[in-house]
Amino acid sequence: MAFSAIFEMAGSEARITLEGELDASVADQFRQTVEHAAQDKPQKLILFMDKLQFMASAGLRVLVFAKQRMGRDVAIYVIGATGPVLNTMQMSGFHQAVYLQESYP
Amino acid sequence: MIQHSLPASLTALSDIRRLVTQACQTAGLSEDATYRLALAVDEIATNIITHGYEEQGMTGDLVVSLDQTDQELIILLEDTGVAFDPRDRSLPTAEDLDKPLDDREIGGLGIFLALAGVDRFDYQRSDNVNRNLFAMNLA
Repeated sequence: MAFSAIFEMAGSEARITLEGELDASVADQFRQTVEHAAQDKPQKLILFMDKLQFMASAGLRVLVFAKQRMGRDVAIYVIGATGPVLNTMQMSGFHQAVYLQESYP
Repeated sequence: MIQHSLPASLTALSDIRRLVTQACQTAGLSEDATYRLALAVDEIATNIITHGYEEQGMTGDLVVSLDQTDQELIILLEDTGVAFDPRDRSLPTAEDLDKPLDDREIGGLGIFLALAGVDRFDYQRSDNVNRNLFAMNLA
């Protein structure tokens, strides 16, 4: 399934909805979306992942980039990550570094 | 054994995952095992394409072979890029995986996820061909 990353600002929150399969061939698209979001200096980054079917380490690296680009005070929320994507985040320790929620707000 | 030859390009990753997933479904692997194997093959294929070919200014193919025994589903990735045994890469430690994102180095996770996700991994190089083998136990 084709990958898409759709960004919108909601007040002080940057919201990005991810869909499809996030591998190394499309990770730069996600990175550019994060870069775009960072320019609005959000206080929170909300990533909706309920329609994300696959995430390789290239996607995890963009999460690291997002945190380092937006700053320590910007919390990252991951919403609705499905089983395998969630497992990948848990195996790599990312579940401790972001706020995982089933739904938002 | 079924073989598929694809151009060593990142755009081939989705086709590689599709081949692996179909083989897993035919072999009756669980959804979890299917995902772990597809992720493992994807991560190593990404490394081969990026570091084994593109960064060297080389082009070539990736040959994906699918095989099944009574005990295992076996995926073999063959390439003619630079020699690289993924097991030689230093993997993130438990301490590294506990670090907050601010302090993380970008990288190093792909091979960790690949090797941790499969039941058996092997690498050999002969006749200038790299052979990465992934196997999942059948129930």
